[in-house]
Amino acid sequence: MSQPMSSLASSPAPSISLQARNISKSFSTGPIHNTVLHDLTLDIRAGELTLISGPSGCGKSTLLAILSGLQRADSGEVVALGEDLGKLNQRALERFRLLHTGFVFQGFNLFPALNALEQVELPLSYLGLTPGEARRRAQASLEEVGLGPRMGLRPSELSGGEKQRVAIARALAKDPGLLFADEPTSALDAANGQIIIDILHRIARGHGTTVLCVSHDPRLVGHADRVLAMEDGRILSDRVPTPASAPT
Amino acid sequence: MVALARKTLVYEWRRFLPAIVAVGFSGLLQLLQAALVLGIFGSAAVYITGSSGDLWAGYPGTQSVNLGRSIDAGVEMRLRMDPDVTAVEPFHWVDADWRGPSDTGGVSVFVSGINARPDGLMFAHALPLSLRARLNEPDAVIVDRADLENLGVGVGDTAVINGHRVRVVGVSSGLRALGGVNVVASLATAATLDTDPSNANRMTYFVAKLRDPALATDVAARLRGDRAFGSYDVWTARDFARRSQLYWILDTGAGAGVLFLAGIVFLVGAVITSQTLIAAVIGSVREYATLNALGVGVGALRKVVMEQAFWVGALGLIGSSVLGAIALAIARARNVPVSLGPWTTAVCLLLCMSLAIVSGLAAMRSLHRADPATLLR
Repeated sequence: MSQPMSSLASSPAPSISLQARNISKSFSTGPIHNTVLHDLTLDIRAGELTLISGPSGCGKSTLLAILSGLQRADSGEVVALGEDLGKLNQRALERFRLLHTGFVFQGFNLFPALNALEQVELPLSYLGLTPGEARRRAQASLEEVGLGPRMGLRPSELSGGEKQRVAIARALAKDPGLLFADEPTSALDAANGQIIIDILHRIARGHGTTVLCVSHDPRLVGHADRVLAMEDGRILSDRVPTPASAPT
Repeated sequence: MVALARKTLVYEWRRFLPAIVAVGFSGLLQLLQAALVLGIFGSAAVYITGSSGDLWAGYPGTQSVNLGRSIDAGVEMRLRMDPDVTAVEPFHWVDADWRGPSDTGGVSVFVSGINARPDGLMFAHALPLSLRARLNEPDAVIVDRADLENLGVGVGDTAVINGHRVRVVGVSSGLRALGGVNVVASLATAATLDTDPSNANRMTYFVAKLRDPALATDVAARLRGDRAFGSYDVWTARDFARRSQLYWILDTGAGAGVLFLAGIVFLVGAVITSQTLIAAVIGSVREYATLNALGVGVGALRKVVMEQAFWVGALGLIGSSVLGAIALAIARARNVPVSLGPWTTAVCLLLCMSLAIVSGLAAMRSLHRADPATLLR
């Protein structure tokens, strides 16, 4: 364990925005009963990029699904931005996600028919924004990820890294309090992976967003504010990477 | 609002093409089938629709114009007594046997004995005046161009009907009959051909013209049921024509056949369309799941699928309308009996739209696969 005090000193008093209390989750396939998360408790702070790393099958994606309200835990509770997700019904959960959460997935999941600007505008139109406001925010968001000049292009005309940046812009444009990323760099080369993780880091710092990233990509470790190492459904270590390896 | 449904439809048109074609062909088949059936069985009422009479008086309960039995000739007076009636003329129907000059054997014919004067009501729309005038010659008959071969005659030839010699003085068009051959003659000629002695002083129908055709229903109501002239009934031309057509459609089983085929066409169209739409939904299921993860509700996603189904239906309908119009134009040019009213067209097109909507509902069900948790693997 390295010194957690130094990270607290370097950032302005981060508040806890996402809490998990004693959550467990298991899956049954026929007679086989498989426990994925074992009584897990953790706090995640706003304004930080938190990385959950671990080998595949360690339960990190399930943890992300539960923390983000996409799945329910078998037991325990999740409090996100002061809201107990377990007490929300399906509609309320969708509403909560619409207002507060952004997602970036390993596959970019962009609609082939829409250009970059439309991809970002699409979820915004369900927020009840005026078309003008949705467009303005979509443009600003694409500018922020450095795709300003390419916002008229369709996914087939964009590179993998650019597609992932569109996906980030789509999540970012809603101005979410929570941003979840699942293996955002696995499908990308080193240079593009670097760009993506830098953008995610900047979002955490610049917008005060809680960015929770799940990845087994060791290149990301040095760029996170905090790294949780997971194995077999348990958190093994919770550390702050050495400043020497962190980007500026 | 980003028009996701329409943009996807345009961009991935190849994926949606089978559904559009399926809806289009279902529509085309329904339209042509309806047009053919209505065209063929519409000719059952050509005696009524080809004439300008507003009211028909005939034997009570007559189900189709070709099934008329004679009524008392005095009914003509009863009709003339009504102040709204401006003209009345008899229509003499004779079921007869035709023997032509060439070897065609006996042919069953329907002789229509009509008033051959230029202002006559019977076949006013179906026979040009010059042709009509030729019926005044003794023993003159007119047959339809399409029947010449069956009857084994040409214009100017003679033939024998019920033992009387007649001469073909002209050919009409659009007077084809169902279940036999139409022969048009003057009332006088028809009377000589009618060999049934019980028909003396009786007439099959009386056709009346009204001052105002809009009054037809009221006048028919007050004319019917006067027992002083024996059994007779009075119908508006519209009702009688419809009754005759329905009789043929139902009596021949064509109605059931049409419904059965319509059902098959609907089913096949719905299977192809729904499978195509389901494939389209599944092809985009990860994108839909991402939208759901971002908080776009399932209801909103369903709306996108239904909108796609609607556009598939609309494009299919445009296709079937265009192709249907072309097919009907070709059919008319080739004397194929087709007839299609606005209501029938609307029903056929509505059926196709409901096909698309039903398929959309089926495709909507596959949205349950758009579970965002499955994206986290």
